[in-house]
Amino acid sequence: MTDTDPAGMPDAVEDDQLALSVRDLSTVFDTPRGHVEAVRSVSFDLRPTERLGVVGESGSGKSALALSILGLIEPPGKVAGGEVHVGGRDISKLSERELMKVRGKEIALVLQDPMSALDPVKTIGAQLQEALSVHQPELRRAAARRRAAELLREVDISEAERRLDDYPHQYSGGMRQRVAIAIAIANNPRVLIADEPTTALDVTTQAQVLGLLDRLVEEHRTAVILITHNLGIVSEFCDSVAVMYAGRFVETSRCDHIFLRPTHPYSEALLRCVPNPEKLAEGPLPAISGFPPDLAMLPRGCSFAPRCPVGREIAQCHESAPERHDVDGPAGPATVECHFAVQRSVEPAVAG
Amino acid sequence: MRGVIAKRLLGSLGAIFGASIIAFVVMRVVPGNPARLIIGPLATPQAVSSLNHQLGLDQPIYTQYWLYISHFFQGEWGYSYAEGQSVSTLIGERLPATIELALFAFVITMVASVGLALLVTYRHRPIADRVLRGIAYVGFGTPPFFVALILLIVFFSTLGILPGPEGRLSQQAIPPPTVTHMYTLDALIAGDPGTFWDAFKHLILPGVALGIAQFAFLVRLLRANLLEISREPFITVARGKGLRRWTAFRRHALPNAFLPTLTAGGLVLGEFLAGSVLVEKVFNWPGVGTLVYEAILKQDFAVVQTFILLSAVMFVIVNLVVDLLYAVIDPRVRVHSVATA
Repeated sequence: MTDTDPAGMPDAVEDDQLALSVRDLSTVFDTPRGHVEAVRSVSFDLRPTERLGVVGESGSGKSALALSILGLIEPPGKVAGGEVHVGGRDISKLSERELMKVRGKEIALVLQDPMSALDPVKTIGAQLQEALSVHQPELRRAAARRRAAELLREVDISEAERRLDDYPHQYSGGMRQRVAIAIAIANNPRVLIADEPTTALDVTTQAQVLGLLDRLVEEHRTAVILITHNLGIVSEFCDSVAVMYAGRFVETSRCDHIFLRPTHPYSEALLRCVPNPEKLAEGPLPAISGFPPDLAMLPRGCSFAPRCPVGREIAQCHESAPERHDVDGPAGPATVECHFAVQRSVEPAVAG
Repeated sequence: MRGVIAKRLLGSLGAIFGASIIAFVVMRVVPGNPARLIIGPLATPQAVSSLNHQLGLDQPIYTQYWLYISHFFQGEWGYSYAEGQSVSTLIGERLPATIELALFAFVITMVASVGLALLVTYRHRPIADRVLRGIAYVGFGTPPFFVALILLIVFFSTLGILPGPEGRLSQQAIPPPTVTHMYTLDALIAGDPGTFWDAFKHLILPGVALGIAQFAFLVRLLRANLLEISREPFITVARGKGLRRWTAFRRHALPNAFLPTLTAGGLVLGEFLAGSVLVEKVFNWPGVGTLVYEAILKQDFAVVQTFILLSAVMFVIVNLVVDLLYAVIDPRVRVHSVATA
C-alpha cells in the first residue's frame, strides 16, 4: 500500500514513518459517582506494520483508549485532551464530519464479542457493503457486492457468494469474528484496533482468527493495536507491548524486553500470573493482591502503590506520581512510569 | 413459514375458546334471571319458564354453550331485549365509532411514544428523560376514566378550547355522507373541512384519555429498548465504519428496536379496539363501550356475551397479524420457521 497524505500537510514529513502517534490522550467520564479518568495522558507511536499489544486488567481503560482514538466516546464521557496523529495528520481537532472520513478508512475497529458486533437483522453482505460504500460512494451495488464476496473469501469463508445473503445468526462465532475483520480491512486502513478480538472464542478458533489476522495485516501492511488481557497472545502476535494500569501506560517496550525483564512492578506481577506448567507444581497460581483503584478516586501518588510489592511501604510512592523514565535494560529500551525504574532496570530481576 | 402460520392460528383459536368460556360462564353465574328481567316482575312463573324455554335457558349447560358459540360464528348474535333490536344491528351501528376512536388513539400514542423515546435516548436529554419517566409513571398508574375527567375539567370546563362530552360531533352538526362510517374520513371524502375539524376536535380528548396509559407502557418499553440497543457493540462497529451517528442509529438501532415495538403496538391496538367502556361512557361516545355499559346495567346477556367474544376475536386477530409480520421481518424467526417447516 502506498500512502500519500491527502492534504499534503507540511509537517507530515517528520512523522511520515509513523502510522499512528498518540500524545497525552485523556478521556474522562462525568458520572454520578464523580469524575472518572478512564484514560490518563497516554502517549505512544505506532510504525507501519508494527503490532502493539495493550494489556491490563479489566477496567484499566483499554477499551476507552480504543474508542478515544477513534473519537467514539459517547456522553457522559469525552476526550479531555491530547492529540492523535494518523499518517502525520492530527485528527483530534477534526470536525465530526471530517472524523467520519478517518473512521473505517484510516483506522478501523474490531470488537470483542462477535455475537453482538454484527447487526442481527441485516445480512452479512449488507453490513460488508455498508463498510465499503461509506468511503466509496461511487461504488455501484453490483461492484460492492463483488468486493464484499472477495472480502469474505479473503477471511476464508467458503461459498462466499451465497453466504453474503445469510444473517449473522447463521454464522458461527469464529466466522462472525472473521466477518468483523473483513469489515475492518474493507478500506485498507493504516491502523487496525482490535479490542480483545479472540476473548469470546474457544481456543482453536482463537488460533485460527489470530492466524488470519496475522496474514491479513502482513499482506495489507496494516499496523495493529491489539487490546487483550492474554499475555500469551501478545508474545505470539505483537512486536511491542504497553502495560495499562488505571488509565496510564505504565510500561511500554519491545515484547522481548517485557517478557525477559519486566521493569514496572505491575508488569512483573502480571507476568507472574500467567500459568506456567513448571511452576504450577509449586502451588496455586499467584494473583495480584488488592483491587484496581477506583478511577473516580485515584490516589495522589503512584496509582499502583497500594498494591505494589516494591512501593507499598515507601512514602515517595504514595505521595508523588512517578515520572516517565526511558530506561535501557539488557533486553532493550523501555519507557516506565515508576520511581524505581532506572534502579530496577539494571538490577537483576526480582525473583518471581 | 406454513408451520408458523399453523401454530399461530391454533394458538389464536385456543385464545378465542378460552375467552368464549369466560364470557359464557360469567354471564351464567351472575345473579338475576334474564327471563324475569325481560317480561317484568308481574309475570307468572309459567310465563317465565316458558320464556326460559324459548331462550334455551332450560337446556343443559353444554348445549347452551354450543348454541352460543355456533351462533356467534354464524353472525347470529341474538336479540337485545333492552334495545328491541338484534345485537348485530346494535354493534354494527356502534362499532365504527369505536374503531375511529381506537385508530386515532393508536396513531397519537405511537407517534408520541416513538418520538419522545427517540428524543431522550438519541439526544441524551437527561432532564427531559426524567420528566418523561415521571409522566409515564403517573400515566401508567392512573385509570383512564379518571384521566378523562381531569381532561374534561381542564380543556372543556376551564379553558373551553375543546368540546365536552357530547359524542362524535357538535349537537347541531350533521354527520357527513356515509362511506367508511368514520366521520373524519367521511368528511374528508365529502370535502367538508368544517365537519372534519369538528369530528377531529371531538376525537382529541377521548383519544388522549384512552391513550395515556398505553403511551406510558410503550414509551417505557421503547426507551429501555433503544437505550439497550444503542449500547450494543454493532452500533459502535457501524460508527467505526465511518457512518454518521444518526445513520448508524437509523440503520441499525431503529430496525432492532422496531421488532418489540411491533408486538407492543399490536397489544395496544387490540386494547383500543376492545374499547374502553368507561372512557366512552365519560365522553358519551356512541361506541360499543357505551352500549355494553348500558347492557351490563340491564343484564342484557346477548350484548355483553357478544361484546366479550368480539373483543377477544379482534384482539387475537391483531396479534395474529403482528406475529405473522414478525415472522416476515425478523430473519431469526423467519429462518427458524423455514428450518422447522
